[in-house]
Amino acid sequence: MKLRYVTVFAMVFLLVGVMLSASADAREQVVRVALKASDIRSIDPDYGTTTIDYACIDPMFNALVRFKPGDIDPEKIQPDLAEGWNVSPDGLVWTFYLRKGVKFHKGYGELTAEDVKFSLEKAANKDTSGFAKDFDALGKVEVIDKYTVRLTFKEKVPSVLGLLTDYHGGFIVSKKAVEEMGLEKFKTNPIGTGPFMVHEYVPKQKLVEVRHDGYFRGRPLLDRVEFWFMPDASSREMAFRKGEIDICEGEREQAWVDKMGKVPGTVIDIFGPGETLTLHFNTSKKPLDDIRVRKALAYAISREELMDFLGKDVTEPLVSPIPTSYLGGTTEVPLYTYDAEKAKTFLKQAGLEKGFTLKEVITEMSDYRRPMEQIQEQLRRIGVKVQMDVIAHSAYHGQIRKDVNPIVLYVCARFPTADPILRQFYHSKSIVLTPTAITNFSHYDKIDNLIEQASRETQTEKQKALWAKAQRSILEDAVAYPLCITKFVFARKDYVDLGYEMKSTLTLVDTIKWNTRILEE
Amino acid sequence: MAQAIRKGLILYTFRRNKTSIVGAVMAALIVSLAILAPWISPYNPIEQKVKLQYFPPSLAHLCGTDGYGRDEFSRILWGARVSLVVGIASVLFSMVFGIPLGVIAGYKGGRADSVVSRFNDVFMSFPIVIFGLLILAIMGPGLFKIILAIGVALTPRIARLTRGSTLSLKEMPYIEAARAVGQSDTKIIILHVLPNIFGDILVMGTLWIATAIIVEASLSFIGLGVRPPTPSWGSMIRAGLDQLTNAPWLSMFPGLAIFLTVFSFNLIADGLRDIADPKLRG
Amino acid sequence: MFQYVIRRSLLIVPTLWAVVTVVFFLIRIVPGGPAVAALGTYASEEQIRALEHQMGLDRPIMVQYVTFLADLCRGNMGKSLITQRPVVKEIAQALPYTIDLTVAGMVLGILMGVPIGIFTALRRNEMPDYFGRVGSLIGISMPEFYLGILLMYVFAVKLDLFPVIGGGDLRDWGSRLYHLVLPAFTLGIIMTAFISRMTRSSMLNVIVEDYVRTARAKGVTERMVIYKHALRNALIPTTTVIGLYAGILMGGSVLTEIVYSRPGLGKMMVFAVKDRDYMTLQMVIVIFSAAVFLLNLLTDLLYSLIDPRIEYR
Repeated sequence: MKLRYVTVFAMVFLLVGVMLSASADAREQVVRVALKASDIRSIDPDYGTTTIDYACIDPMFNALVRFKPGDIDPEKIQPDLAEGWNVSPDGLVWTFYLRKGVKFHKGYGELTAEDVKFSLEKAANKDTSGFAKDFDALGKVEVIDKYTVRLTFKEKVPSVLGLLTDYHGGFIVSKKAVEEMGLEKFKTNPIGTGPFMVHEYVPKQKLVEVRHDGYFRGRPLLDRVEFWFMPDASSREMAFRKGEIDICEGEREQAWVDKMGKVPGTVIDIFGPGETLTLHFNTSKKPLDDIRVRKALAYAISREELMDFLGKDVTEPLVSPIPTSYLGGTTEVPLYTYDAEKAKTFLKQAGLEKGFTLKEVITEMSDYRRPMEQIQEQLRRIGVKVQMDVIAHSAYHGQIRKDVNPIVLYVCARFPTADPILRQFYHSKSIVLTPTAITNFSHYDKIDNLIEQASRETQTEKQKALWAKAQRSILEDAVAYPLCITKFVFARKDYVDLGYEMKSTLTLVDTIKWNTRILEE
Repeated sequence: MAQAIRKGLILYTFRRNKTSIVGAVMAALIVSLAILAPWISPYNPIEQKVKLQYFPPSLAHLCGTDGYGRDEFSRILWGARVSLVVGIASVLFSMVFGIPLGVIAGYKGGRADSVVSRFNDVFMSFPIVIFGLLILAIMGPGLFKIILAIGVALTPRIARLTRGSTLSLKEMPYIEAARAVGQSDTKIIILHVLPNIFGDILVMGTLWIATAIIVEASLSFIGLGVRPPTPSWGSMIRAGLDQLTNAPWLSMFPGLAIFLTVFSFNLIADGLRDIADPKLRG
Repeated sequence: MFQYVIRRSLLIVPTLWAVVTVVFFLIRIVPGGPAVAALGTYASEEQIRALEHQMGLDRPIMVQYVTFLADLCRGNMGKSLITQRPVVKEIAQALPYTIDLTVAGMVLGILMGVPIGIFTALRRNEMPDYFGRVGSLIGISMPEFYLGILLMYVFAVKLDLFPVIGGGDLRDWGSRLYHLVLPAFTLGIIMTAFISRMTRSSMLNVIVEDYVRTARAKGVTERMVIYKHALRNALIPTTTVIGLYAGILMGGSVLTEIVYSRPGLGKMMVFAVKDRDYMTLQMVIVIFSAAVFLLNLLTDLLYSLIDPRIEYR
C-alpha cells in the first residue's frame, strides 16, 4: 500500500519536474543581433546614416507610409501611420489622413497631425537633419485637423511616397519629446511610435530596445531586442556559433557563406538590393585626365574574376552605374569586357606602356578592402602599380571627399531610382571640394542637363530614356567603372522567425518587425 | 689589452655554450631564409589566384593558401624579411641615439644625467606598443615609419640601460687611473668605457631585436603595419583570425614563424648573458 | 623617506603634463579630422565643417591647447569627438575591465612565476630547471595576441568552455569572472615567463651570498635558510618586476583586449586612434602613462620596505 503511494508521489514529482524544466527551457522572446560597426552614430532618425543606425532606428519609428516589409519595390509601398491620402490634379498638394489612437513610447501621448508637421519640418531643416536636401521641393506642411495633414510641394518630385516612407527623412517623431528633451538628448533617447523603444545604451557595446505595448499593429511578440556592436568578423562568428547571438551580420564573401551555412540550425539570408561597387576615376588627377588611360584601366579589370573572388552567392553583375533593379537602370552601355591586349594598347597610345604608380588610400573595412586588393592585383598585371595605405573607415570617407585618391572605390545603396546616384555622383554641383559637394569623385560635368531634364520629366518612358542616355555617357567617357553588386549577407538562427519574407530592404539588415519572434522548441 | 681578452673570452665561452649555439644556428637559418626568399620562395607572394582560395596545407602549398589564393609559405618567407629588417634596423637606430645619451648621462652625471633621465622617464612611461601605435597613426603606414616608430620608442630604454652599465663601470680602477693621468673625458669614453660595455650592449641588442620583432607583429596585427599586399606576419595573423574556424593554418603558421624567430634571438641573448656580465638583469 | 615619497609623487605632475602635451600636439598633426568620423559616411561637406566649428577644431592650435589645459585642471576631460559623451564617463565604463585584466594578469604572473623561479633556481641545471627555463623562454618569445588566439581557439571554440566575446556584465560577478579567465591567463602566462626568469636569476645571486652560507653554518635548516633569508632578498628584484614589467603588462593588455574584444581602455585607445578621437585618445594615453608611473613608484616604495639597507636621499 505504502509503495503505491510512494510510486504515485514519485511520478507526480517527476512529471512536475519535467514540466518545470520544459518551461525553463522555453526560449526567451529576445533577439540578439550582432552588427558590423563599432557604435551607433545617432538614433535620431534624421541623422542616422549608417547601417547600424538603420537597424536600430527602424524598429522604433513609423512613417506616413512604409515599404512592404522585406520588399523595396516602390510600387508596393503601403500605408503606415497614414490610412489614406488624396493628391491634387497637379500633383503638388498631398493630403494624408492619419490613423487614430497611435501611441508614442513612454507615455508621450497620441500621434496627431502636429507631430507629423513637426517631424517633416525637422527633416527638411538642415540644422536638425542630415536629409534636408531631399526635402528642397517641400513648400509647406499644414495641420488641417487633429488627424489630417496637408503637404504642398513647390515643384514636382519624382516620388513623393518614396520621400515619406520609412527611410531617411520620413520617420515621424514625437514633437513633445523633442521639445522637452532637446535635440542633444533626443539623439540617444528618441521617442517614436514603433514596436520597440530605447531601453539601455552602453556606448561601443550594445543598444537594447524593449517592447512598446501600445504599438498600433498589436503587442509585439518579442520582449526585447539587443543590438551588439561587433566590428570584428571573428568575434561575431564565434558569438553566433556559441549561441550568444541570434542574428549576425556577415562578411560578403563566399567562404563566410559556406562556413556559416555549415553551422547547425543556421539560415543564411542573402538579400538585395545590395550595394553597388563602382570605381570612380578622378579625372582631375594625372594620368587619369587622359581618356585612353581610363579606358586602359577599364579593359584591364575583369568583373568576372572579381565576382568569382568575392563569391558567386554574394554578387550580381553590374555594368552600369545604375543597377537594373532600380527604376531607370539599363544594360545598354559600353561594357569594356576584360581585354588585356586592348588595355596595353591604350596605355601605349597614351605613352605609358611602362606602366605607372597610383597612390591610394583604402579603408580597412573588408567590403572595400577586399575588392580593392583584387583590383590592385588585376592592375598590377598590366604594369599599373597601386600603392595602398590602409586607414580607418571614417578617415577614408573624409579623405576621398578631400580629393585625395586617383581612383575611388565606392560602395553604396540608394533609393531605387536612377536620380539619387546620378545626381550625387555625376552632377557637377556634387563635385568634391565645392561648397555643394556630395560624392562626385570623378569631377564629371557632362550630363547635368540630362539629369535635370529627367527629374522633371513626367512620362516614365521618356524619363528612362534620358537616364539611359546619361548612363551611356558616363561609360563612353570612362569616368567610372561599375564592378558588381554585393548583396547583404546575414546569418540567423532557425528559431528566429522574422515575420516576413526577406527579399530586399533599404535598411540593409535583417530588420526586426513587430511580429518577429522566437520559435518555441 | 683588457678588452681584447674580454672579447676573446666572450667568443670562446659562446662557442662552448649550448643555448647560444642553438639560438645562433636557428637565427642564422631564419636570416638566410629571409635573404634568399626571392630565390627559394615557390610562388610569387602577392600573386592572387581566385580559384585557389583557402586551400589547406598540401605538398603544392606547404602552408596552404589565403583568401586571395596566395601561397602562405611564400608569404611567410617574404614576411621574414619585413620582421627582420624592422627588428634589426629599429634596434640599430635606437642604439645610435640611445647609447651616446646613456653613456653621457652615466659618465658625466649631474645636469646631463638629470635631463636625460627626465626625458627617459617621460618617454618610457609609454609602453612600446602604445607609443608605436601613436606614431604610426600620425605618420601612416610604411616600412621606414615603422622602423622609426619602434626605434624612437626603444631609444630611452637603451639609454637607460647603457647609463646603468656606464655607472657601474665608472668606479673601475682603470677609469680612475686614466683620469689621474689626465686623459680627456671623450678619450676615456671612447677608449675605455665603450669597449667595456660592449658585452652588455650585445646582450641588450639581441634582446631588443626579439622585442622589436614582437612589437612589429603586434602593430601590424592591430592594422598599422606595412602596406598591402606586402606580407607581414602580424597582418597575416590578423587576416587569419577571421578564418579561424575554416582556415586555422592562416594564423597558426605565421604565429609559429614569429615565435621561432623571437625564440632564437632570446636563446642567443640568454647564452650571451650567462657569459658576459652576471650583474646584468633583464 | 617620507620626503622622498612626496618628492617622487610630485614628479608625477610635470611628467604627466609633458605626456599630455606631447600627445596633444602629435595627434593634431594627423590628417583626416574627427568630424567626418563623427558624422558618418553620408554627411555633406557643409555638415562636416559645421561640426568642426562646433567642436572648436577651427580655432588656432594654441588657443585649443590652453583651453584644453584649463578644462583639464577643472576636471573636465572633454567630450569624445565621436559620441559627444564626456570622456570621463567612457573611461569610467571601460576602466574596470582593464583593471580586472591587468591585476589578474600580474597576480597570476606572480603567483605562478615566483614559485617556478625559486624552484628552478634551487634545482639549478637539473631537469626541472631545464624545463622551467625552456618554458619561460617560450613564454617570452610568444606574442600576446598569438597566445590569445591559441587559447581562444582551444578553450572557447573547440572545447566550448569559455565565452568568446566581451567582458561580461560588470554587475554580475559570475559573468565578470567567467569572461576574465582566458584573457587573464593569456596575459598571466606571459607575465609568468618574465617573472620566473627574473626570480630565478635573483635567487641564484642570493644563494651564493656569504650570509646564506653563514646561516647554514649556524645550523639553521635548509628550509629556514631559503624562506627567511634568501627569499627575502630575492623579493627585492621581484618587486622591481612590478615596475619594470608594467610597460609589458599595459602593452600586453591592449592586445589581449583586442583579441578577446574586451571593452577596456586598450580597445578604446585603438579605436580612438583609428577614429581620430583626439580627446579620448589623449586621456587614455595619459592614464596608461600614469599607471606605469604609479606602478614604478609603488615598486620603489615596496623596495624600501623590504630592504632596510636602502636609503633615500
